[in-house]
Amino acid sequence: MTKRIPLSPKEPWVELRTTPSDWQKADPKLLATMLGQIHLIRAFEETVLQLAGEGLVHGPAHSSIGQEGGAVGSIVSLRATDAVNGSHRGHHQFLAKAIGFVAPEGLSLETLVSADLQEVLQRTLAEILGLAQGYCRGRGGSMHLQWKEAGALGTNAIVGGGVPLGAGHAWAQQNSGTTDMTISYFGDGAVNIGSVLETMNLTSAWNIPLVFFIENNLYAVSTRVEEVTGEERLSGRGTGFGIPSWRVDGMDPLAVHLAMEEISEHVRAGKGPAIIEAEVYRFFHQNGPFPGSAFGYRSKDEEEAWRKRDPMLRLANEMIKLGQLTQDQVDSVRAQAQSAMDSAVQQLLEADPAGKPGSRRIKSELWPEVDFVNVGVRGDASELTGARTQEQSSFSGETQEVRFVDAVAAVMDRRMQEDDRIVVLGEDIHRLKGGTNGATKGLVEKYPNRVLGTPISENAFAGLGGGMAMDGRFRPVIEFMYPDFMWVAADQVFNQIGKARHMFGGDNGVPLVIRTKVAMGSGYGSQHLMDPAGIFATSPGWRIVAASNPFDYIGLMNAALALEDPVLVIEHVDLYASKGSIPVSDLDYQTPFGKAAIKRAGKDLTVLTYLSMVNHSLDAVEQTGVDAEVIDLRWLDRASIDWDTIGASIKKTNAVVIVEQGALGTSYGGWLSDEIQRRFFDWLDQPVQRVHGGEASPSISRILERAAIAKTEEVVIGLKAASAGFGAHN
Amino acid sequence: MATLIRMPEVAAGATEIVLSKWLVSVGDQVNAGDLIAEMETEKAVVDYASDFGGKVHRIMASEGADVEVGSPILILLDAGEDGSAGDALLGGGGTATSTPAAQPVAEQPTSPQAPVVSPVIATVTPLVSPLVSPVASPVVTVAPAATAGDRTFVSPLVRKLARETGVDLAQVVGTGPNGRKVRRDLEAYLANRPTTSTTQKTQQPTSPVSATLAAGNVMSEPAGFTAVPHTGMRRAIARRLTESKSTVPHFYLSADCNVDELLELRKRINAASPVKISVNDLVVRAVALALVDVPEANVIWTPEAMHRFDSVDISVAVSTDGGLLTPIVRSAEKRSLANLSAEIADLATRSRAGKLRQEELEGGSFAVTNLGMFGTKEFAAILNPPQSGILAVGAASKRVVVIGDEISIANIMTVTLSADHRAIDGALAAQWLAAFVSRIENPLSMLI
Repeated sequence: MTKRIPLSPKEPWVELRTTPSDWQKADPKLLATMLGQIHLIRAFEETVLQLAGEGLVHGPAHSSIGQEGGAVGSIVSLRATDAVNGSHRGHHQFLAKAIGFVAPEGLSLETLVSADLQEVLQRTLAEILGLAQGYCRGRGGSMHLQWKEAGALGTNAIVGGGVPLGAGHAWAQQNSGTTDMTISYFGDGAVNIGSVLETMNLTSAWNIPLVFFIENNLYAVSTRVEEVTGEERLSGRGTGFGIPSWRVDGMDPLAVHLAMEEISEHVRAGKGPAIIEAEVYRFFHQNGPFPGSAFGYRSKDEEEAWRKRDPMLRLANEMIKLGQLTQDQVDSVRAQAQSAMDSAVQQLLEADPAGKPGSRRIKSELWPEVDFVNVGVRGDASELTGARTQEQSSFSGETQEVRFVDAVAAVMDRRMQEDDRIVVLGEDIHRLKGGTNGATKGLVEKYPNRVLGTPISENAFAGLGGGMAMDGRFRPVIEFMYPDFMWVAADQVFNQIGKARHMFGGDNGVPLVIRTKVAMGSGYGSQHLMDPAGIFATSPGWRIVAASNPFDYIGLMNAALALEDPVLVIEHVDLYASKGSIPVSDLDYQTPFGKAAIKRAGKDLTVLTYLSMVNHSLDAVEQTGVDAEVIDLRWLDRASIDWDTIGASIKKTNAVVIVEQGALGTSYGGWLSDEIQRRFFDWLDQPVQRVHGGEASPSISRILERAAIAKTEEVVIGLKAASAGFGAHN
Repeated sequence: MATLIRMPEVAAGATEIVLSKWLVSVGDQVNAGDLIAEMETEKAVVDYASDFGGKVHRIMASEGADVEVGSPILILLDAGEDGSAGDALLGGGGTATSTPAAQPVAEQPTSPQAPVVSPVIATVTPLVSPLVSPVASPVVTVAPAATAGDRTFVSPLVRKLARETGVDLAQVVGTGPNGRKVRRDLEAYLANRPTTSTTQKTQQPTSPVSATLAAGNVMSEPAGFTAVPHTGMRRAIARRLTESKSTVPHFYLSADCNVDELLELRKRINAASPVKISVNDLVVRAVALALVDVPEANVIWTPEAMHRFDSVDISVAVSTDGGLLTPIVRSAEKRSLANLSAEIADLATRSRAGKLRQEELEGGSFAVTNLGMFGTKEFAAILNPPQSGILAVGAASKRVVVIGDEISIANIMTVTLSADHRAIDGALAAQWLAAFVSRIENPLSMLI
């Protein structure tokens, strides 16, 4: 007879409801503050919808009207040093955190709006309108609202995209010795996306103080929650990850507050993350000023029923019932909030003399300057000013021969020893005596809390690193075991980390390093063997370095770890076992920022290359006898590349061959060739020639893999093609 | 809105065009489609119609001037516009890319300070991407080989250096891919060019234009000749024939044709026909049919592949006052003798009037040149690239011939085939020439 033993989840899952005694026990000051906040947010959102209706909001306006109870109830008791982030529908959370930041003692219903608060309302509205005085200088708008100082980490237009970043921030809070925590808000639609589920797993594994706040408003745009999940009680996700979970009526701000009190106690005690699901309702459609029923996916009756549970009314009525408030006072709060919004609008709009009577326009002087468009895609690298640099060609001290991979581990060891902020994370990097290649050898023994072996969830741990970097207290070094894994983490790598500085206004750095190794030739096949340089070079925000020898690796990694920007450090398996000389007692120098290295001087043509192809190119030059100038680019991104050296060489040789190993489609040389012909057209005596791999990804078959990539033989062909361009007078 | 009209690239690859004649004057009203100027390319005189309408405000190129393609030549104003709107057009855009080497402009009286536009538009804004990317091959990407045609390829660097040094690129032989003139070609040219100009250049290094003018003065002082300025056509002939003779491996085959029967047949045809058939018409017909007989010879060489043609297009050399032109008779093998004759006559007339269209000068695999009317006995011609054969036809005259073991007198015409050895080997050329002789000596076969 088979035995069947019932199992139960490790962590509890509860629904919390208020009782009249909870309301009686509640601090009247707390209730007043929540009421004031809800009214301010409501008036704010009504203003946004009105301006959207006038065509003054560029892009969507996702209103939170109806959902304020969840945000206010959960944020009202947070510390200034706690943090929140959110989704595309995030005005209410942003405002609740910002109001709490400028009014830490709570709100007075008699004089609701202080000067500081008025500024919050105006600057938030200005940001949503895309104006220079906004928190992100108008770049973020409605969907990317950030005010770091206030602990509003940034709302996010990618569904679930902010959740891993919230985890990174929470990790930084915890590992800075605080009991602070982070709440990441997202909707019912985001519960099913990988970023969220991966992050639930990761935070639970590492006891990270992150609160997953699910605003279940029942509709992902027009798709009802039951249509897309078998467990529509979304807090039920927690039990599978070992995360304690709460379910609560989000239309009851006090219920949310009380649940958060319990959650806060759990999370701040270092016991790991928590999940809270607040059932709420947006009174309007996904965006814009029409109700959802106007689009036919829900009924007016349903909307009417939810409107009766409006958290703004519920809270006021409970307070009137308790004798804390009169209806006149409620009306006064409403009037104060509306008046504050009217004054904010007055500051930003003016009558449109060219429009119909009564039409308004944005005051033209408030727009950002057009030349601000590209400012802050990256930092200005001034953080490297004064750094001690060293070139192998001019180094005169004592040197030793080491394997490339040992230099990788050695410089990281040295930096971690000198800089407590550096944290290394990736798959298996803490085991196997230094990860799968030995590149992190010896680190976990010395820095056990800063070498983090991750679950296999690239999106979550890349985002975790991104969150750490944006916080700034730590400098994450993320290892992608193979470059192609970046596609798994693409949202975090390109949409979040790469764009964050610029999107949120341009001032806040994202000091983060991704290490990865090109493995062409290793037989790992189509899904492991790309060269990521081309994709990163054509994506905003990233700097890229690639060393062809251990000496440069040390200098480039030191520079990468000193930069305030995300930096991709590319390695190559072929180079790991190669030997080169490094200083015996110096692992602290940097390679000069933005400087290429001329590996061979020549006058007939310029070879631009990097990584393992530097040596292949030098071999090919020897074989062909072409008097080529071989330049190891080292700094590959468009902001760091050494145009001085490249330009001087092209003006001398008038011919260029760009050499790389990988596939044509994602290749690096495309943008470089384009840029060269624009900058140096009149100096070119022939088209820019290129050496690269085939269209296909390299296959497992050894023969096909070799045929798909470029090595010395292909460089020889490229050099001959370029030589044919010299004509007959050679 | 005022409109600035620039010198069009009348022929593919042309960098300079001669503005031979204005058909409008300042103040004239022009409608879109009206002819406004005659322009002379290296090959033909072209009537140029305006794409725009308006009142002629300024004319910025004098008649007879060589004008760089892209240079402003005319400004049109809309009704009611004043001149400043037109003048404003000269202020911006590509006009900033003037170069010191643009000698013709200094001669333009209407606009002494007229800006010059270089044919290469260098001021691409950083955000504008080129529209065309090179096609890539799997391993080594090389820019696609263009079909050269009559275009002259010059690398960007050489174009720039030629401007700076005042070198006439027509004098530089291109040996790069597609005949591109590359840096080393220019260097070879500079190393070998006549010392007078080198001296001039050394004396006046900062001003290639004045150096050129000075060189002109020096040369015109000694009595005994008049310096006749080169026309575009003269330059083209010089350039193309130099290029042909120095880069195409020519070889030559001669044959004597007995034309007794041919002359007799011609006499009978002309007695019966209103159209007078010339010997040359018959020769062209024989060439066409011989290329049908030996289709392997109807080919041209290109760096990538041999092009074998489906029809026979033959150039006919026409001597004009300006120089030699080689218009094409298309599908010569399909034409009747009368039709062929009429076509040749028409092409010759229009050649001499300078009214050929550019496309009538392009293509063909073979050419016929005939100096028989001048009594020339025999001669060898230079190939007209990319064609791979040219037949030089001498005068038919009575000569002593041996037929069997007997001496007799016959009308003999000597022809010499020049062939491109890259495309046609000796045996093939001989086979073709035999086919030609057979057609000429059995002229009835040409009437079928």
